[in-house]
Amino acid sequence: MRRNQADVIAAGAVATAGCVALYAHLPAAVIVVLGLGLFVAPGYVWSKVFLSASTRGLERVAVITGLALMVPVLGGLILYAAKIPLHRAAWVGLLAVVTLTGTMVALATQGRTDEPRGRREQAERRRRPTWHAVYFGVAAAIAAVAVGIAVYSANAQRYPGYTQLWLSPLRNNPVSASLGVTNQQGSTTQYRLVLLRKGRVSATWNLTLTDGQTWQHTVSFTDRYAIAADLYRLPDLSHPYRNVDNGE
Amino acid sequence: MPRRVNHEASAPAPAAPVAPAALESRLPVSVVTLIAALGVLVASAAYAAGRAGYASSSWADRAYWLGQALVLAPAAGRLLSRRRLTPTDTATLVVVLTVAEYLLKVCYSPAGFTFTDELLHWRSTVNILDTGKLFTVNYGLPISPRYPGLEEATSALISVTGLPVFAAGLIIAGTAHLLFICLLYLTYRCLSRSHRIAGIAILVYSCTPTLNSFDSMFVYETLALAFLGLAVLASWRTATGQSGGERARWFVLAVLAIFATVVTHHVTSYMLAGSLLLVTVASLLTRARRTALMVGALAVISVAAITCWVIYIAPGTLSYFRPTVEGLAQGISALQSGGSSGAASTSAAPRGNQVLEGAAILAITVLVPLGWWQVRKHHRHHPWILAMALGSLGWFVALALRVGTPDGQELAGRTATFVYIPVSLVAGLALIRLVNAALVRRWKSAAIGVAAAGMLVLLFDGLANGWPPYWERLPGSHQVAGFERSVGPEEIATAQWTLSALGPGGRFAADIGIYPLLAGYGDQNPLQDVGYLYTSATYTPAIAQAARAQAVQYVLVDQRLSQSLPASGTYFPGDTTAPNQPIPIADLTKFNRVRGVSRLYDSGDIVVYNLQGAQVAP
Repeated sequence: MRRNQADVIAAGAVATAGCVALYAHLPAAVIVVLGLGLFVAPGYVWSKVFLSASTRGLERVAVITGLALMVPVLGGLILYAAKIPLHRAAWVGLLAVVTLTGTMVALATQGRTDEPRGRREQAERRRRPTWHAVYFGVAAAIAAVAVGIAVYSANAQRYPGYTQLWLSPLRNNPVSASLGVTNQQGSTTQYRLVLLRKGRVSATWNLTLTDGQTWQHTVSFTDRYAIAADLYRLPDLSHPYRNVDNGE
Repeated sequence: MPRRVNHEASAPAPAAPVAPAALESRLPVSVVTLIAALGVLVASAAYAAGRAGYASSSWADRAYWLGQALVLAPAAGRLLSRRRLTPTDTATLVVVLTVAEYLLKVCYSPAGFTFTDELLHWRSTVNILDTGKLFTVNYGLPISPRYPGLEEATSALISVTGLPVFAAGLIIAGTAHLLFICLLYLTYRCLSRSHRIAGIAILVYSCTPTLNSFDSMFVYETLALAFLGLAVLASWRTATGQSGGERARWFVLAVLAIFATVVTHHVTSYMLAGSLLLVTVASLLTRARRTALMVGALAVISVAAITCWVIYIAPGTLSYFRPTVEGLAQGISALQSGGSSGAASTSAAPRGNQVLEGAAILAITVLVPLGWWQVRKHHRHHPWILAMALGSLGWFVALALRVGTPDGQELAGRTATFVYIPVSLVAGLALIRLVNAALVRRWKSAAIGVAAAGMLVLLFDGLANGWPPYWERLPGSHQVAGFERSVGPEEIATAQWTLSALGPGGRFAADIGIYPLLAGYGDQNPLQDVGYLYTSATYTPAIAQAARAQAVQYVLVDQRLSQSLPASGTYFPGDTTAPNQPIPIADLTKFNRVRGVSRLYDSGDIVVYNLQGAQVAP
């Protein structure tokens, strides 16, 4: 088997493995790697069809990438025109079918063998000492650290804490409303929530919410009389911290 | 008299017009890469300092520029140097430069999309994932679902890898951006038959103010540019292929790339069709019959594809561009009649930015005619380079737009992506001539140093006058009515609440800062020209009438609008006048006193009112 046939078959195998991985409940990292393989595979095999063996290096990589990006763009339109919903199965099927078709076409049409690399290219390769590779590796590590710093600093960025309070009629049942509180103060916070109907206290809840926790309750709702909710952040019970109402 | 060369035969090997006894550089490409990585690290540290509360400090700003200098200066010096540079070295430098700048873009917003258009494309992608359908409604950017290429590719990647939208979007945008630059480099290399000229042309192209922002963000133009690059390269190969079979395969590839461009981004597809037509004309002028035939056929196919797409799939494209075209026509008409075009006479940018901008404009304006001279002298029978020379006239058109029409600055900025493609090659031809000139050879490194310094001015101009604007160069605390720095957890949570509590499509009045979040995460329909709702102490019958006429359902009030002037210059989308004082708090809280206006949501800074039951006496 020639080398340029082996890699086409390998690309087809990667696509098949990618399909299997998605339905075999493999670890997320494996799915990501095989999924990326499945995404790139159509571009790889069809580049074998479109390009002659003399096209190599950056140009070949560019065409492979371009084809890989084109397949979902044009294939998605074809699926949509065929009234196939663009969910996971459709995308997986599309990429797999395009890859396997490309594999067969490439195997059937490929009479071209790999041309020997040019003398100039070989000489260029020979000239590169190992320390170049070390420098590139260190550069990649530094770039990864830079991105890591960015991610860490973005996650650690301090924002003023806040608390959300809402009273909104339910979309499917306007005589009821969702009354809710979410604590985003950055720490566990104690609240008192007072529901008022016609200016009188209708219900009271003492809430202790951890950071990020939401409390939600459905209350009866109308716009015929005033309904309001005042949220106090304990221990201050003299001024409502947040308030909502129905506008009456 | 130049020798007539057959440009329809592909070049066997690039013949770089490099000095005859080029020496090995003391700065190998691997070292340049290492220094660029350190630059990314320094700039990322500056971003981290901004997030830690030092966004306004001068040392953080200097650290950012130091990082950029480490990324740009060694690569620029190496590409301009007359020392030996192999084709692999040049390609590596191009990739390093592009990847380093993209990593800086990622480091600016590493936790989620924050730019307006990215948030809107996030919405279109989520809609496809949720519904499995194309062409769903996007209230913030109604035209974008009609050009679904970016969202299709991202949805496919998400579906097969399980990655979140943000990560998949970064991969698609980054890959497309790098692909575009590599294809541009390959095209320049094919046309000039010199990897050195191609490298310098890419260096000039890196000065495009939009390159490291709009052209590398998760927006539809980013992906379409990659397809445009592939279509152009494939067109070249179609015309110059050695055998009929090879030409036929490249032709099919070119057609596929044209289709992909057409369904991904409107303007890019028009520019592609225009470019192919220009090459056809240049081929006819130079009597390159095969090129005229092949590229002409591709131009016809692209025009037909665009026409069909606009008629059958995206008829809204015409109305989308109407305001731009009308504004352009008015400006040109005003200029012709000798009146004022309405263009802003001064820029609000700092003096340093204006000086950089002026220097860059002057440099390009000088280089382009010098490049034309080189084209006339050496390439007048080369249809593609002649087409590039004709296309570089666009530089002067863009300059005229910039100074002569309202919003000319914005329009010229957006067209820079395309105008710089021919300009870069033409300027590259001029630069290589200057660098190789006998006078320069006498002073060698000093002259190269001057050229590199000039190039750095151009590159820094692209960054300083590109995106983000100078007042958001470093990420940091919340800014009132800004862009990226108006996106924070409270704003995101509010937008998400609107979708969960109110459902999609609510007609919202909101300030410019939270507008894209409402359209993106909230899937709401935020409206333009809503400033009148916020700038009076009482909710008058006239305001109520105007709100009814606009069918405003909800008003989102950010009480921080009363604390400072808008960072972007205006508080509300569609505003044309800049306020000179913050909005009084009474103007913002007046809705509390209007009967029938319910106060649905309160997060402290942000309050959402429902206007639909408002009762105002006439």
